[in-house]
Amino acid sequence: MSKLRELSSDYYWLLAVTAVFAVVSLFLDQFQISLAILILFWALLGAAWNILGGYAGQFSFGHAAYYGIGAYTSVVLLINFEVSPWVGMAAGAALAGLFALLIGYLSFRYGLKGAYFALATFAFAEMLRLIASELELINTSVGIHVPLIGGDSWLRLQFEDTPSNFFFAILILFVVVMLVSIWVARHKVGYYFQAIREDEDAAAALGVDPLGYKLAAIVISGALTALGGSFFVQHFGYVNPELVFGVAISIEILLRPIVGGIGTIWGPLIGAIVLTPLAEFTRDFVRNPPPFLEIIEGRAGVDVMIFGVILIAIIIFMPDGIVGAAVRLRERFLS
Amino acid sequence: MNRISKILFAAAILALLLAACAPAAEPTEEPAAPPPAAEPDEPMEDILIGGIHPLTGGLAADGINMDRAIQMAIDEINAAGGVLGGAQLVYLSSDSTGAADVGQTEAERLISEGAQALICCFQSAVTSNVAAISEREGVPLVIDVAVMDSILDQGHTFTFRLQPNATSMGINGANYLKDIAEAAGDSVESVVILFEGTTGFGDSVRAAFAAEAANLGIEVLDEISFEPFAVTDLTTEMTRINALEPDVLVVTGYYNDGLLAARNAEEVGLDVKAVYGLAQGTYDQPQFVTDAGDLAQCFFDSNFHWDAGNPDALAVREAYASEFGEPMRTGAVFSYQSVYLIADAIERAGSSDPGAIRDALADSDYSEYLLPYTGNIQFDETGENINARPVLMQVQDGEVLQVWPTDLAEASPIYPCVSWGD
Amino acid sequence: MAVILQSRRRKIIFAAGAVLLLAILLGLNADQASEWFEQNDPVLRQALVTGILIGGVFALVAMGLTLIFGVLDIINFAHGALMTVGMYITFVLFDNYGIDPYISILITVPALFLIGVVVQRVIIRPASNAPPHNLLLLTLGLALLLQNAMLVIFSGTPRSIRLDYGRGETPIGPFIIDFPLHLFGTTITLNKLIAFIMAMVLAAGLYILLQKTDLGKAIRASAQDKEGAALVGVDIQRIGLITFGIGVACVGAAASLVLPFFFVDPVAGNTFNITAFVIVVLGGLGSIPGALLGAFIVGITQEMGVVFMPSSTKLLGVFIVFILVLLFRPQGLMGKKE
Repeated sequence: MSKLRELSSDYYWLLAVTAVFAVVSLFLDQFQISLAILILFWALLGAAWNILGGYAGQFSFGHAAYYGIGAYTSVVLLINFEVSPWVGMAAGAALAGLFALLIGYLSFRYGLKGAYFALATFAFAEMLRLIASELELINTSVGIHVPLIGGDSWLRLQFEDTPSNFFFAILILFVVVMLVSIWVARHKVGYYFQAIREDEDAAAALGVDPLGYKLAAIVISGALTALGGSFFVQHFGYVNPELVFGVAISIEILLRPIVGGIGTIWGPLIGAIVLTPLAEFTRDFVRNPPPFLEIIEGRAGVDVMIFGVILIAIIIFMPDGIVGAAVRLRERFLS
Repeated sequence: MNRISKILFAAAILALLLAACAPAAEPTEEPAAPPPAAEPDEPMEDILIGGIHPLTGGLAADGINMDRAIQMAIDEINAAGGVLGGAQLVYLSSDSTGAADVGQTEAERLISEGAQALICCFQSAVTSNVAAISEREGVPLVIDVAVMDSILDQGHTFTFRLQPNATSMGINGANYLKDIAEAAGDSVESVVILFEGTTGFGDSVRAAFAAEAANLGIEVLDEISFEPFAVTDLTTEMTRINALEPDVLVVTGYYNDGLLAARNAEEVGLDVKAVYGLAQGTYDQPQFVTDAGDLAQCFFDSNFHWDAGNPDALAVREAYASEFGEPMRTGAVFSYQSVYLIADAIERAGSSDPGAIRDALADSDYSEYLLPYTGNIQFDETGENINARPVLMQVQDGEVLQVWPTDLAEASPIYPCVSWGD
Repeated sequence: MAVILQSRRRKIIFAAGAVLLLAILLGLNADQASEWFEQNDPVLRQALVTGILIGGVFALVAMGLTLIFGVLDIINFAHGALMTVGMYITFVLFDNYGIDPYISILITVPALFLIGVVVQRVIIRPASNAPPHNLLLLTLGLALLLQNAMLVIFSGTPRSIRLDYGRGETPIGPFIIDFPLHLFGTTITLNKLIAFIMAMVLAAGLYILLQKTDLGKAIRASAQDKEGAALVGVDIQRIGLITFGIGVACVGAAASLVLPFFFVDPVAGNTFNITAFVIVVLGGLGSIPGALLGAFIVGITQEMGVVFMPSSTKLLGVFIVFILVLLFRPQGLMGKKE
């Protein structure tokens, strides 16, 4: 009974968050909307990663692989077959899911764990990047432009007149990913993931097939990540191997769920809400520093230094992420 | 979800709302309405020019250089009385950090702060997207540096590129090579291309060069790819190239790998008639001579460049060097030129309205160019600079000299020429 | 396939079968094979030589990284950034005071050791009981901080140095040797040779330290079983500081050795960072001999990429080999099986 109540609660919260985002967006200017898009975008990717890295406890350092597969699949289908990016997204997710299955099978079947698994996923992503860089089929490292047809089109996921529609597109995708996240977290599947995360052998002894569930986790995680990749291509208008398969993407993806709270439903979103504006804030701070810090004005690199310090501080003072810190704070309040 | 998470959530949403409403960086509700041209004796509205370059990250050296050049140009114009009879230019600098999504949001931010023209971005991927944004927002973009053709193949009308594109680099590069070989009474029958294969610019230039080389009867024996920023040594590559016995080694890439290539080529004793940079970021830089010493002698580079025969260009570089204590790189000259080009457009437009600036830019016939072009700066309907071309340079006696085409030459090209061997 | 590969004996049979198959294929194509070999022979030899020389330097970096992991369970993402710091120190000493980089090792090693100790004490230890992903982000934040600090201090312009010896005739003791050496058609430069030799000397020194000294025993005890070591009186905290210091000092030495044939800019250490991670995992986390072996494998594989796959960038071969090795030995070449 209480499980049912908690279950409903998360979905209601998702509804509330979605409504708030949607309504607030109507009052934002173009720049603020693009920030909001970024927040939801990275939250989506973080939530997808979180299913494998947080719930199933398999730390992936190569999620760019799925992101890139999603991106390239949808753009290639669009360019060669005039397929709508929404369909392309689904195709990309399927392909990424297959690739995830391959990587997962090779890794888990052969007992790769922890840092070994992480580096193996990184190696796979890098292989995709380097192979893509010399594949004439997808235009090598020169990349592919999304052909612009002018005006707005939901079918082709292009909004040249009303770019704020991209916000609603990412909101839809974000809701989809969060629905899956919540479902995973609150259903048996999620509990099995966590059991495997905590103690794989014990879980196996209790009849939970680690390989099967780990594979499920990586496939779901990979497929959802690909949605983000497809969105990126349409929103950004251009793709090349470096942009979508690079290690920078893999790192960005895992940054927010860890900071927000790994293995929690809302950690990725909270991490995104904090980190994305934080980066913007540090840049702005260096552009217009307070009078006593004038010396740093405009100095390149200072903003990232500040960001690095804040990141370090967050990790030191909030080892369970922001959500975890809030939980501990509440416990201290109550005791 | 437990209660604390809910409270936390509410707080986060509230914070987001506050951030949205707070006047963060003077956001406006829509792209800025252009300030009206004021009467001459009224204080005039500032005109905002935005710049997006990689000020941090692996390309910061060039990015910062270009950023400073823009500021210098703007300061000069303001000191000389500004534009439109007294309006001051204001530079809105921004950092793409070398990342695509950051470049995107920075472009959005600049436009929402009222930028009436943009200069960017050094990296083709970032530029590609900013071009789409400026098209949508109706704000003209002058590309100071970004080489890939496809940026301007998208039907944009608000984007203008100052430098020669990849096709121009490739075709001219191949022709210059053949020309100097013939001028020396020698030949170039085969080449090996060593190119950076992961950031896109290497591939695009290489492809154009290889196609033209085929037309000119130059055989491309092999194309060897390396990853810039991740390569520690090129000796094995050089050994392979040596085994192929080409007449010329063509190199395209960034500063660091070009330096490595030069050193390793000497160590292996590469048996070629010349090492020929193609849009290469090393062999046309004075820093190459400083870093490599005697080794630098003979290296060619067919690249975009300022016009070394133009005393104004030299004066500008002097001014930059004395203000910032570092040499003005090629990219920065283009950034500097972009500012003056925009100022000229504003004057001709008689207004600071972005649309009017765009129209004026499209009609540009700018004669005070610092670049070694075949004519005034004029743009075709896609935004390419009609008269842009690379210039072939060679290091001779410790100096980077323009050697081809003949109308730009400060000295004759020396071919064959390598700084090692007997 | 999977079932076959499970047992050890079958693995050996499988490997032998693969080798036999390869030999048959080679034999059948003997003519083409020998022609190809003749054409590519000098390149093959160079790939081997460069792979070994560079592998030596990679080994030094990787050993430091694996030592840190073995004792502290930290994947130090700031390893490359710390190497960059060492490279800048070496550069400044050379550029401003004319100190030869091979001499400045005497300065960079203790300097980086100290920096390592400070980092461990101030930044890492406060988060020491955190899960590994936290430590990863922590060291990532540190890397960002260091890289951009160097950008602010030194600007982004790449700097390099040129030694005025080592090219052409060079007196080495009583001999005069012409560098670069051209042994069997390969090219060996003095700076890479010195880097290799000194890296091996330092590796040997590290080995002796770990095996023969009391400190080394304490470090190894800590790596094997922290609680057990504490019970027998090892000061875990102090050992942690010293180990991190040593790990970073390794990278400081590598920095000085590398600068003569490389260059330094704020992101110069990144190349070594990623490669070091691959090597450490390949060799087995925490295993020093594994890091050494892994470094040579990676170095040689990387260079072989130029011979066999010239149109791809070198690292591709490394990642392929990396995955293949992990599939065969998921704990790394010399890692501990769980």
